[in-house]
Amino acid sequence: MTEPLLAVDGVSIAFGGVQALSEVSLEVRDGEILALIGPNGAGKTTLFNVISGVLRPDAGDVRFAGRSIVGWAPHRIARAGVARTYQIVRPFGRLSVVDNVAVGALVHARTIERARNDARDVVGFVGLGAYADRPASSLTLTQRKRLEVARALALRPKLLLLDEVMAGLTPTEMDGMAEFVLHLSERGIAAVAGIEHVMRLVMRISHRIVVLDAGRRIAEGDPAAILTDPAVIEAYLGAPLGIGG
Amino acid sequence: MILLQLAINGVLLGGVLALSALGFNIVFGVMRVVNLAHGDFVVLAAVFAAYEFAQSGINPLLLLPLTIVAGFVAGALIHHLLLRRLPGEIASAEASSLTLTFGLSYFLTGAGLATFGGRFVSVPYLTGAFQLGPISIPQARLLAFAVAVVLSLAFAFVLRSTALGRAIRATSQNLDGALACGVDVDRVRTLAFAIGTAVATAAGTLMSFLYNLNAQQGVLFTVNAFAVVVIGGLGNYTGAVLGALVLGLAESFASYFVGATLAEAAPYLLFILVLLLAPGGLRGRRAA
Amino acid sequence: MKRAAAVLAALVIVVLILAPLRLNGYAINLLYITLLSIGLAYGWNIISGYAGYFSFGQIAFFGVGAYATGLLVADLHWFWMPAAFAGGVLACALAIPLGYVMLRLRGPFFAMGMFGMAQMVRVLVTAIPATGSGSGLFLPPGSGITEVYYWTLAICAGAIALTIWIDRSAFGLRLQALREDEQVAGTLGVDTTRAKITAFALSALIPGLLGGGYALFLTYIEPDAVFSSRLDLQSIVMAILGGLGTVWGPLIGGLVMTQISEALWARFPQIYLMIFGGLLVALLIALPRGIVPAIADRFAARRNA
Repeated sequence: MTEPLLAVDGVSIAFGGVQALSEVSLEVRDGEILALIGPNGAGKTTLFNVISGVLRPDAGDVRFAGRSIVGWAPHRIARAGVARTYQIVRPFGRLSVVDNVAVGALVHARTIERARNDARDVVGFVGLGAYADRPASSLTLTQRKRLEVARALALRPKLLLLDEVMAGLTPTEMDGMAEFVLHLSERGIAAVAGIEHVMRLVMRISHRIVVLDAGRRIAEGDPAAILTDPAVIEAYLGAPLGIGG
Repeated sequence: MILLQLAINGVLLGGVLALSALGFNIVFGVMRVVNLAHGDFVVLAAVFAAYEFAQSGINPLLLLPLTIVAGFVAGALIHHLLLRRLPGEIASAEASSLTLTFGLSYFLTGAGLATFGGRFVSVPYLTGAFQLGPISIPQARLLAFAVAVVLSLAFAFVLRSTALGRAIRATSQNLDGALACGVDVDRVRTLAFAIGTAVATAAGTLMSFLYNLNAQQGVLFTVNAFAVVVIGGLGNYTGAVLGALVLGLAESFASYFVGATLAEAAPYLLFILVLLLAPGGLRGRRAA
Repeated sequence: MKRAAAVLAALVIVVLILAPLRLNGYAINLLYITLLSIGLAYGWNIISGYAGYFSFGQIAFFGVGAYATGLLVADLHWFWMPAAFAGGVLACALAIPLGYVMLRLRGPFFAMGMFGMAQMVRVLVTAIPATGSGSGLFLPPGSGITEVYYWTLAICAGAIALTIWIDRSAFGLRLQALREDEQVAGTLGVDTTRAKITAFALSALIPGLLGGGYALFLTYIEPDAVFSSRLDLQSIVMAILGGLGTVWGPLIGGLVMTQISEALWARFPQIYLMIFGGLLVALLIALPRGIVPAIADRFAARRNA
């Protein structure tokens, strides 16, 4: 069995007196789509922050492509191939759409011209070509979500951390995003998709699911099994997991 | 014995610094605005009190109500007419309000110099001292300390037990929540800023019989207030009192041990050390 | 359009180079002060405009450059040019460790921390006995206004060229990303620490070099003259007036403000502070992005109409 692309091993972190994560472990393989689900406040974003290097865990390890990345500066982790999007989109407002994406492209491009060219390609790829030279602050929310993804893609990542990338989208847009993630998976880019609800999409796109609640991993497995897991149902307070919704 | 004397001086100084820092803290706590002109309010009030004393022999304590009201009105106008109107384009809200109060500070310094000139002035009031054995407690300092304590307690009362105080606390803790509860945030902020400047001018009036000051020294008091607030924790009023005591003691000891010229750097050094070493969200961001 | 602008720029430079041959002392003085102010504004623009770290203490580097040059010329009898150069290098070298420490602070804490730092530097520099300890340092004559003028012209031109480069380079893009959102920039692969410190060092080098020239200009330096809050305030206002984070902003701001500034300072020092302070306040409310972006927007609107 080959080494997983990403291995989170017993990660714990507390701040402000709250134990945000308790001994969370998970694995992601090349090209795999892992859905990280859990109610709001379960620790999904915190886990993304730990993996991307924004936060340092109090205990545990994070290994990417076999190397421990705990303690690495975020930019180093990004360069190694881990790209993340933010739940609340944060574009570089005063920069153009192309420039927003070019920042990430600089990791692989030698010159800024090359980076901007690469960025244009990615911008076109996510369907924002018409807005390429407009300031990012002029985009609508949906467009900004696409920009988030474009920025992450410009890093040519091996692993994408998508934090609530579906939030705020219409059902059609969500389907589009889901297709997109599947498409990336086919091209060998793994993804961890943090999703709070919209279970039908989770069922559709994920190879495996990890469930977080109050900072702990309470379930892990393939989609069908997770659906019927009593711990998972309880964590969602008995709310139907809405496969049909 | 010298140490005890220095300590007492430091504590008394700390009391007045606490009052000054209180004004600064109110503004920061409620609006996340760093009022760089804070010290200028303090100093202008002091210089004004000294000036009036020189003109008509009037006791600075009697001027206190006047300076408090003047500070309040000035602060209200500044917030209502200027701070509220900052568009968010040039930089973050923080940077904009910072730069605005930076400009305001120079404006006030210039106004002070133009009105009162550049001489160092103070009010020679209560220059005597109580003697407790080998320790002498300067009367002026003690009085200033007492008034500062009274005013601080009054403010604490307002904060805890009045509707306005609740509104202020709500706005500083949770803006959306406060809005949802129907708090007129703009008005609360204007009032908070006005209270902040009023407290600053009160502190300044008291300072007039503690220090020799001139209109250019506002910055020093801003830095002091900033340091106090940072030590104690931003928006934390009791912590600020502790911070003020620390700063008062530090300044008292520093000027004795290190000598006048280098002691000039002491507040700034302390300020920087505090900024770098203090916990809390000062040093970049740890969490998203 | 671009060629016309380049020709114009070349013409201006030629005129400026030839100026001392034709103009009288007063005019050269004024020209010198203008170039100095513009240069300082460019220095401030890098750390505050491009990197977004507003600093209220860059004057520390100006003062360090001035005193370093002063000491080298007065005590060690260096020739003026290497001395002024050394002043800049020293300021830049100082900025690197300082930056590591101070740039951890964000927003208002950095701004005020730098202010405190500048005051501390002032006190420390003037505490060194060699600097005359506050009573001033005399520089022997050895360079006239002409040399200082050319030096400052060169530095100013260099600052503009540097800014043009930053604006177009990968470094500049990284800086601006950092300014917009430092955390996100980090997770997009930007080494924010390195970028910040480089920007800070450049923002110290320019005032350091200019300070060296200023020492030679004054020939008698004392702390308040070179650690001058008025020069600090002035460069900030000029950069903001012209357009923070733009290439031509500090130039426009400097040209517009210097004439007014000098006239005011000479006659009404207190009113000066009031006017500049008040102007800064008014700018932030009415014209926050400065002149250059406002004009650029006007052009863009006309093109799209």
